[in-house]
Amino acid sequence: MSGYKETALKQSCFQPGSTLCPGCMESVAFQNLGRVSDNGVKTIFTIGTSCAEVSSLAYPNVVAWGRGDQAPEDFTRSFSIIHNVFESAPTLAEAVRDVADSLTACGALTQPVQVVANSGDGGAIAIGLRALLHTIHRRARVTIMVLVNEIFANTGFQYSPAAMPFADTSTTPVGPGVPGNLQLPIDYVHLAIAAGAELVAQVSPAHGKLFLKTMERALESTGTAVVFVPAPCISGWKFDDGETIEIALLGARSGAFPAFTWERGKGGKVVDCPVDQKERPPIEAFLAAQRRFQHLVRKNADTGAPEIRPGREADVERVRAWAQGNVERLYKLAEMK
Amino acid sequence: MSEPTRGPDLLHIATPSGERYENVIDLAKVRAAHRVLYEERETISADGNTAAAIATLQMWRCLLFAGFPITPSTKWIETVAATIARDPAGTQAAKRVKLLEAEHAVADYLAGAAAACRDLIFPTATSSVGLDHMTETTRSLGASGLGNVMIIDVYRATANYPLCIEGDPSDTLAHRDDGFIQIACRGKQQIYDTIVQAPVLGMHPHIMTPTQPGYYGIKDSHRSARLTVEPDREIHAFQDRWMAPCPLPGLINGDTAFGNCVTSRHFQGFKVSQKRRLERVLELLPRIGADFERHFGRPGLAFFDQAGFDDRPRLDIAVASMGPDFGTFEALRAAYEKRHDLSLGGIAMRLLTPFPRDQVRQRLAGARVVLVVNQAHHSGRGHLTLDVADALADLERPPRIIGAFAGLGGADVSESTWEAMLDDASAVLGGAPAPPWRAYHEGRPV
Repeated sequence: MSGYKETALKQSCFQPGSTLCPGCMESVAFQNLGRVSDNGVKTIFTIGTSCAEVSSLAYPNVVAWGRGDQAPEDFTRSFSIIHNVFESAPTLAEAVRDVADSLTACGALTQPVQVVANSGDGGAIAIGLRALLHTIHRRARVTIMVLVNEIFANTGFQYSPAAMPFADTSTTPVGPGVPGNLQLPIDYVHLAIAAGAELVAQVSPAHGKLFLKTMERALESTGTAVVFVPAPCISGWKFDDGETIEIALLGARSGAFPAFTWERGKGGKVVDCPVDQKERPPIEAFLAAQRRFQHLVRKNADTGAPEIRPGREADVERVRAWAQGNVERLYKLAEMK
Repeated sequence: MSEPTRGPDLLHIATPSGERYENVIDLAKVRAAHRVLYEERETISADGNTAAAIATLQMWRCLLFAGFPITPSTKWIETVAATIARDPAGTQAAKRVKLLEAEHAVADYLAGAAAACRDLIFPTATSSVGLDHMTETTRSLGASGLGNVMIIDVYRATANYPLCIEGDPSDTLAHRDDGFIQIACRGKQQIYDTIVQAPVLGMHPHIMTPTQPGYYGIKDSHRSARLTVEPDREIHAFQDRWMAPCPLPGLINGDTAFGNCVTSRHFQGFKVSQKRRLERVLELLPRIGADFERHFGRPGLAFFDQAGFDDRPRLDIAVASMGPDFGTFEALRAAYEKRHDLSLGGIAMRLLTPFPRDQVRQRLAGARVVLVVNQAHHSGRGHLTLDVADALADLERPPRIIGAFAGLGGADVSESTWEAMLDDASAVLGGAPAPPWRAYHEGRPV
């Protein structure tokens, strides 16, 4: 296990050149994962269609992946990436893993490789839930990173099954008679555990040390490691520049997506999010930071404090209850071994 | 490609697709790990799925067999699994079956595996809606340059309303534009021989296009016949003569990005290039087929099988068809000729995509009437009819063309059905009008 500073000084496989929105959490996650994976093992990424794909692999623009301007002399620092359709990333990763293992088994490959799948929640939880769960079910020795921005951001901020209640998306728009998304999000953390994952986590780079440590553990896992990365989307969630990390922290601490790590046989923990909601930031503080919930909550023009819009009290209470349920469920999952 | 340079550990070579690190994958070790299935040439009795399974198992480049069952292709994966299960190495055997949760996952898996190592061959078998279910990724695979993907299609109609497992080639013909090299087979020997040759064609550096050999469900997949199986070493010798390590990097031995998002300008150029690669099949296929025939003493890949053209530049009626029902035509051809005082020949298409337009034109140009027998649902005159009509269109005096549908839904095209079609062709020969198309069933027009 590397130290935080040591990891921070490693070279990331995610280089300048992407056209992701400034402040995009996906970019921050890739920068960090890119450093963790600079660990002496050749890295192969698979990526389903997503913001990350269209913004980082747009030939003939600069491909934002790889270590350095030239291919490294050292094979272990070389890097390959493959993109295929939305749902495909876990299956692609499993295939690469199998080929590497088969070649290794007959002595044809002596260098180890590590395989990381990247999907958005649209790709992994909507279109690709089947692919995600079956790759986990087959215990493929891969790391799966799912960037959860709760929308199909790539195609214009449409609803995804990870969307929070009452979120204003382009396909669940708020109107006089409809308060945004009426579905509760799918419990993807529990699904991943139930499907047989060896490691399951929900953590963003806003919890910097925990994120790096979790990704290191994931890459070392002997089974399938699934890391859901809450990824505030500056364009889809509609917040201001420079607030990505703050909003990610607020979302985690208020119970919208608590930081959580779990390993089979060891159990897990919820980090930085007490089960007693009085000890957490109020959910409306998280809601007020984004204009996708501006129909529920607004910031006081003078103080900046969140204010529930008149007549929306019941809706906010339902979000609060949902968040509390989130936290309690994760605490219970943490007890499982 | 640049001149190779040597780094501290491994030779690496810059290619248009990124860096390739030599010697990361030792293919000789893969070859050495191959478990021989046949030491000597043997004649066995086998159905089509078994013939296809044996052919794939005999290739040393096939390590992983991905699959998902769907009738009538299921016995391919079952046979592969049963054969591997007999390997005393058990779970340590070099070859492995990979069962996925659905056909779509199989297609995605093939993409990842084939990109991981471009020098191995990744086969699967499917049918009907299984092929449909793969479509999102088969369209990508068709453009991918991954000629090491082989999807064996066991023909079955593509509809679940009403549901039936009979084999007509609606599935493969509905996927003419997926970008695969599509080769139709008839008979167990042709199935076996075609599958041995298909990756040689697809993986050629000038082509790099995945292949889709196919055969009729039930009629060929489930009925047994005599099959000559070649020794593994001869299969390897034939394939190795054609297959050099891929010049482009794979995910494992490369520093590369695959499946990029591209600008419109590059996409448009790419699509032109993809079409050119596919057209090169027309140049290479006969060479591979001829080499196969030299090596094994049986006919190799060809654009079509033919009957009745010997030394006869002009024919009254030429048939264009595909599949095992062509054998019924071959069986009755001479008698029909004699009885009606007509000259009669025919072709059974082997290469469906790219369609060998020039070769078909050359073969059929001397016919006065061409009877095109389509066995798959089509909204118009039939897939084959349109291709044949296109091939003949620029002749100064093109033959009259009759579009016939027979054998729809996997029906046998009986002798009486053939004769009914030929009777109508004879009438057209005598001046009767030819309708755009006509369907035949159980011995008569319907």
